[in-house]
Amino acid sequence: MTATGTTVYVAGIGCVGGFGAGIDAFRAALKQGCCSPTPLLQQHPDGQPFVPAYLAQTDKLSDFVPKRALRRLDHYARLALLGGYLALADAGLSAQDCEDLGVIIASGYGATGTTFGFLDSILNDGDSCASPTSFSTSVHNVAAAYLSMQMQALGPNLTVSCFEQSMTAALHNALCWLQSGRVRRVLVGGVDEHNPVVNYCYGRFFGTQTAAVLSPFSEQHSALPGEGAAFLLLTTERPGLSPVRLTDVASGSGVPTMAAPTDVVLAGADGHGATAPFYRRLSGETPALRSCTPCYGSLPTGQAFDLAAATLMLRDRCCYGLCAAPQTNEAGSCPAPQRISVVKYSGDGSYGHVRLQLEEGSRHA
Amino acid sequence: MAELVCITGIGCLCAAGNGLDEVVNTIFAGQRRAASPRAFTTSHPQPYPVFAVEEGWDVEPEDADLLKTSRLGLAAMRQALDQAGWSVSDLRGLRVGVCMGTTVGCAMNNEAFYAGYRSGATPDMQPIRRFLASNPAEVIHRRLGVSGPCQTIVNACSSGTDAIGLGSQWLQAGLCDVVLAGGADELCRTTYNGFASLQISASELCRPFSVDRCGLNLGEGAAVLVLEKRSLRSDKSVQGLVRGYGSGTDGWHLTAPHPEGRGLRQALTEAFRTSGIQPSQLSFINAHGTGTRENDRAESLVLRECLPNIPFHTTKGYTGHTLGAAGAIEAALTLAFLLRQQMPASAGFGTPDPELAMTPTRVVTPFEGNLALSQSLAFGGNNAALILQRGERCL
Amino acid sequence: MTIKEKLKQILVEDLNLEDITPEEINDEDPLFGEGLGLDSLDAVELVVLVQKHFGVEIKDMEQGRPALQSVNTLAAFIEQNQA
Repeated sequence: MTATGTTVYVAGIGCVGGFGAGIDAFRAALKQGCCSPTPLLQQHPDGQPFVPAYLAQTDKLSDFVPKRALRRLDHYARLALLGGYLALADAGLSAQDCEDLGVIIASGYGATGTTFGFLDSILNDGDSCASPTSFSTSVHNVAAAYLSMQMQALGPNLTVSCFEQSMTAALHNALCWLQSGRVRRVLVGGVDEHNPVVNYCYGRFFGTQTAAVLSPFSEQHSALPGEGAAFLLLTTERPGLSPVRLTDVASGSGVPTMAAPTDVVLAGADGHGATAPFYRRLSGETPALRSCTPCYGSLPTGQAFDLAAATLMLRDRCCYGLCAAPQTNEAGSCPAPQRISVVKYSGDGSYGHVRLQLEEGSRHA
Repeated sequence: MAELVCITGIGCLCAAGNGLDEVVNTIFAGQRRAASPRAFTTSHPQPYPVFAVEEGWDVEPEDADLLKTSRLGLAAMRQALDQAGWSVSDLRGLRVGVCMGTTVGCAMNNEAFYAGYRSGATPDMQPIRRFLASNPAEVIHRRLGVSGPCQTIVNACSSGTDAIGLGSQWLQAGLCDVVLAGGADELCRTTYNGFASLQISASELCRPFSVDRCGLNLGEGAAVLVLEKRSLRSDKSVQGLVRGYGSGTDGWHLTAPHPEGRGLRQALTEAFRTSGIQPSQLSFINAHGTGTRENDRAESLVLRECLPNIPFHTTKGYTGHTLGAAGAIEAALTLAFLLRQQMPASAGFGTPDPELAMTPTRVVTPFEGNLALSQSLAFGGNNAALILQRGERCL
Repeated sequence: MTIKEKLKQILVEDLNLEDITPEEINDEDPLFGEGLGLDSLDAVELVVLVQKHFGVEIKDMEQGRPALQSVNTLAAFIEQNQA
């Protein structure tokens, strides 16, 4: 557990996913409790259909970056850049504020499209026709590199990858950096892209008889792949309105000990059978177990979206997403949360636990 | 850095040997164990020599289902824990973090699976299962059964240096009692073809900092350091200390270093500022020194301007460029050189390059003093530096 | 399609020059720096593209530099070296 000497605030959030791009689109999906995955009508030549997926568009990136600067950017890097710019905008920061900005990107799978694209160049035309551009844009740190180049964000720059625990790991570093004074501001985001190969693996591992929507608390496997980017702009400077504090980041296994009281536990339950029992155990701990995964789908860095959702819930003083106890989903049945714990499990029972809190006495935005 | 970050165990294996002592002996003997790749074939007209780990290291049956990268990491971990004197059961009572750097260990690039997928066949899923089970930090975390924070760093070729620096920060922040930090990477067709396509792989042994340098040789291996707070076992002899860490960002280009070495200067500045150490206190510098024209040019410029008159070398000519493991292996070697108070000849150095105006050590060189710096540059503009101090090992 | 036309198409499509059409490229425009604005990564990609589309090998940048000045010089190099 990282104890906070210095107070760390979430000054901005930016996200793009199956729900659209930006806070308004995300809030609309959160209010609804879900959004619809896109059916993928093709099938793999071996006859296996692709499962529906929550797919993200990055057209909005042209609001922030000139076309020429995007020429080498694959979908993974575009997702990251769009999420990052949206978080900066939400925090009221412009390009001039970025010189000492730290950047940390968490990704479960990295640039899968370009990774396989590089293999395509070899399989199509032979080893001596391997594409150097594909190779150098397939490395995981390419998204963080583009953020640093495009924003001229020249603070510490880091990419971490450990599947479901990637975002918690990223936040451990972010807190260290902010509390030691290494940075004043750091942009921390989770990024993962959908790819037909990943989709095919879903089908092979879990079958293609899919649920219509992802049901986080169902006993049945209902995971549907998602993609996108969700960023937090963390700072030690207190924002004016509705300051949301990031108070704790913890890693462990089993049931997390909530070091301080919490009003809502936001579970990263994304319909996977391997992690479902761990999330079910949490429902005994608190009546206010909720999940937002049907808004964005299943991806290793889904926790980044939960953190963006928790920030919105605290700012808006309103509970979003689905409740584990269905009767409490009715309007007005969830009191305005002051403290939210965001919990993400890996299949081996390891968890990452992040706690956000609305600063006491803060005025409504 | 406030809390002393002690290194109580060092594990290291690469083409130069299995275990730090063997690796160091090979280096001081001047041996360069490179050969054409044996683990895979390619259709390039001529092979590029690589530094592969020699057989005989991979003896644990329980590791068999993992990627080689993760197996290399586990082997280095065992060596490091042995030296540190930690048993698994002791560690489980502590807050133990794991920080590992890699490139291949996080890439979903199994060629056989993908070729099958692409051809419309129904490929065996074992390569994907193995990938999902083989995240280098998670593998160590699970094997030890510890529950502290865990991360795999994928900052390309500075990953190993960053992993040790960030692990040190975790200790100092009070997040962990012990951190296992290092890096692991294996030779594979994908990176081999990738570096060849970028025209930075040498078809001969590499010649870093020479006027006729002709590119890099890839390598493989792993190193793990056991980092712990001094207060945890104050009677334990230590191999060394992590005194400073800094990182910096070029914000310039995907594959070319900043021409003025912007990010590397930033990394050095931070490492000196946070440690309170002066460049003049350093006995030597372990340079990145891959042997590519661009790396050696940018790196020499920064060495000349920021760290003038300090002896430097590169070990890439003995280990190959081990990518995500390089920074960790070189931190291990830097500590070993500090303990011996001797630095090796910079392998492959021939004729100086007037443009670089920098000459690495040509022969084994004894020195006095206890401090050295190891630096790494990476694709994407990541740069990182560690300042390491000699421990109290009884030789 | 002439070698030059093919080269211009490759430049735009395979190097993703999103803000220019093949017709807008002049035969003598410098490929790098002030001209089309290509960089060192494009240079090595072009080497692969020339091999892939024309079966002509550019051994290294020593040999490649004079050839990679413009569409004109590259087309001439390809013509000279095509089997």
